[in-house]
Amino acid sequence: MHFELDPELQAFREEVRAFVRDNLPEDMKARQMAAGSIFCSHDDERAWAKILAKKGWQVYSWPVELGGCGWNAMKSFVFEDELYKGFAPPLSFNTLHMIGPIIYKLGSQEQKDHFLPLMRHGDVSWAQGFSEPGSGSDLASLRTRADLVGDKYVINGQKIWTSGAHEADWGFFLVKTDTTCKPQLGMSFLLVDMKTPGITVRTIPQINNDEHHLCEVFLENVEVPAGNLIGEAGKGWTYAKMLLEGERTGSSYIFWNKREMRRLLDMARAEKLNGNPIAQDPAFRARLAAIQAELTALEWSVLRVLADEEFTYGTAAASSVLKVRGSELQHAITEAQVDLIGEKSLRVYSVHDLLSDAGTLWPDHVVNRTNMALLTRAATIFGGAKQVQKNIIAKAAFGL
Amino acid sequence: MDFNYSDMQQMLLDSAGKLIADTYTLEDIRHQRTIANGLNEKNWAQFAELGWLALPIPEDAGGLGCGLEDVVVLSTALGRGLAVEPYVSTVVVGGHIVGALADEDARNALLGQVATGAARIALAHGEPGERFGDGGARSTQAVPSGNGFALTGRKMLVLDAPSATHIIVSATLDDGSMGLFLAPRDASGISDESYALVDGAAASDLFLDGVQVDAGALIASGSAAETLLSEASDRAAIALMAQAVGAMEGCNDVSAEYIKERKQFGQPIGKFQALQHIMADMFVSTHQARSMVYYALAHLDASPEDRQAAVSAAKVLVGTAAQLVSRSGIQLHGGYGVTDEYIVSHYYRRLLALEKLFGDIDHHVRRLAVHMFDRADA
Ligand SMILES: Cc1cc2nc3c(=O)[nH]c(=O)nc-3n(C[C@H](O)[C@H](O)[C@H](O)COP(=O)(O)OP(=O)(O)OC[C@H]3O[C@@H](n4cnc5c(N)ncnc54)[C@H](O)[C@@H]3O)c2cc1C
Repeated sequence: MHFELDPELQAFREEVRAFVRDNLPEDMKARQMAAGSIFCSHDDERAWAKILAKKGWQVYSWPVELGGCGWNAMKSFVFEDELYKGFAPPLSFNTLHMIGPIIYKLGSQEQKDHFLPLMRHGDVSWAQGFSEPGSGSDLASLRTRADLVGDKYVINGQKIWTSGAHEADWGFFLVKTDTTCKPQLGMSFLLVDMKTPGITVRTIPQINNDEHHLCEVFLENVEVPAGNLIGEAGKGWTYAKMLLEGERTGSSYIFWNKREMRRLLDMARAEKLNGNPIAQDPAFRARLAAIQAELTALEWSVLRVLADEEFTYGTAAASSVLKVRGSELQHAITEAQVDLIGEKSLRVYSVHDLLSDAGTLWPDHVVNRTNMALLTRAATIFGGAKQVQKNIIAKAAFGL
Repeated sequence: MDFNYSDMQQMLLDSAGKLIADTYTLEDIRHQRTIANGLNEKNWAQFAELGWLALPIPEDAGGLGCGLEDVVVLSTALGRGLAVEPYVSTVVVGGHIVGALADEDARNALLGQVATGAARIALAHGEPGERFGDGGARSTQAVPSGNGFALTGRKMLVLDAPSATHIIVSATLDDGSMGLFLAPRDASGISDESYALVDGAAASDLFLDGVQVDAGALIASGSAAETLLSEASDRAAIALMAQAVGAMEGCNDVSAEYIKERKQFGQPIGKFQALQHIMADMFVSTHQARSMVYYALAHLDASPEDRQAAVSAAKVLVGTAAQLVSRSGIQLHGGYGVTDEYIVSHYYRRLLALEKLFGDIDHHVRRLAVHMFDRADA
């Protein structure tokens, strides 16, 4: 055992910080600061991707020969940590960790030639079409089907919660290509141009009054070239599982949690209780200190996974720890932000105008905090709901 | 002791239940936030017609002279329906404070208008930089002027002000004590910034610049004003807690219904014990919350200290329950829980507001602790 970070990483940290300082456009940063969300607008995501691409950092986690940076896990950790700290728009998880790896590992030469350069340059955005109205936690029960007719797949069905589908260029869909076998064996992975006739996208109004993120996708006789199949037909479930296992620490939202914790502390210094900064109030100090301790534990649990600790129990259990505590921390931090601003949390600010004025009598730090807290309720739902994570832990850690 | 509803209360509850079922559909609730001043005129007229606005108003002012326990019964139904009409501002707070107006004619006239729905009252007390009115002496000043006073100051987050016809303003008098003043909402010298709240209600910041009121507008001053404000706030807290209990019961019902219907892994998700235990916790919290509303109500006429301690204890418990219930409600709904198209997210937003209004959990934990540890007679 040794617990020191490689000293070179400090220099790298400063390099990334300087890059963000010099290259992140002020208005983009201001929007990200106000929203604070784990999501950002399509335009900002694209524009920032192009800035990173110029530096060669857009697909940093990919293999070097494909434009990646070849950093080890710790260096990547420092990189993302600094981007978040500087309020850069979040990187495209789909490009970096989902469809990108799927294509470079399993895609046909044609798919690689077409999509990898687009992704490397930040020129394509993706939607993930897995969940369906009747298939959330129980993804294997999905019903959207794709029938091979000649050299085309014809897709019929419906997807839901397809984040960003209304603005995405492409979607990667999990569909049923064989209904005669065990559900997991009849699934395939298809790439779909979102402009294909037969696709209708409806945005879903959210709890924070945003209508620009979650979508429903209706597919009616959507014809997709057979060449858009990833790998082999019937292997879709295996590929999807591979995706989820390949990236084991993202679900902790550690960088987001750290940044929003910093915001929380800044708010505690700015807000007053009986005329004194809340940061000096024993009760609030105790509450925030307890959150800080959990956050520190989460960061070290992430580092243990990144440093490839050999666990005596199934690694799925260690990953689920990150998801459970990471999402609980997202709740704890946003709940504390709301409580810190007290009754001021009740005022609605438009999610569509992130730079809206706080109001003559209102401090700037209240803007959008409640919107973020409302959407953050989803943290324990998406990407494997909390109860399902606990089922996984019980099984992987104890064989229950 | 008898915790059962009287016949009259049962009737009140039944009629409220019916109106709520017809008038507070998900669609109506989603429409609420598009109303610029936050007031659904049609619903308000119904409230008047059903006698709800007259409930606690004294009979000689044209009211029904009922007690706060009847308001509590009605409030549970309003809470379940997610009604954000300015009932508490106007009837509970406004009605109580205006009841102290010295001029009998003026008092009865305004209370009569409250009962018929013609008048709506908003309390303008909070000021910038404070939490839950904790700032001590008001910065807003009442300076003698003409035959009355000129009011100058800034009031923040005045609940239901956009649709109010009258406001009650707290201000510091010449002698440094507090006065409560009645003023028309459209008096000259008042400007405002108005906005929607997270639950679909509306509020304003009010900027008072030498607002001229006559001597009779001073409802109370000094310790009488402090007492009146404290009584009105505690009454408001009790009515809003009753709404919270109604909202929690509604949230529990829709959640239970949802998990019985929703199937995953070939069975209703309500069959999973993990979810059954979440529902059981929601039930425990809600049950305890209702107990505390009764406890607070039972202390309405106790000494001010005991009443405040009881209301604070209740507010802590009801607020904590509201959080557990509303958060769990969303969790049980999965992705559907974070959409505007399922009522559970509206319960969440309303319960967030109810936890904060008239003092959040933290505020009341502190107030209760003071009563427990710092009172001379403790
Ligand atoms: C903000 C957001 C973004 C999303 N983005 C995408 C996206 O881009 N692409 C995509 O494909 N999907 C996306 N999703 C969908 C997400 O993956 C699903 O919401 C998630 O899988 C849960 O499914 P569900 O919503 O149907 O809930 P359900 O599966 O119906 O779950 C409801 C409740 O039942 C519980 N439950 C379910 N099964 C069990 C069990 N066996 N034991 C105990 N409890 C159980 C759950 O924990 C939950 O509390 C997104 C969701 C959200 C909220």
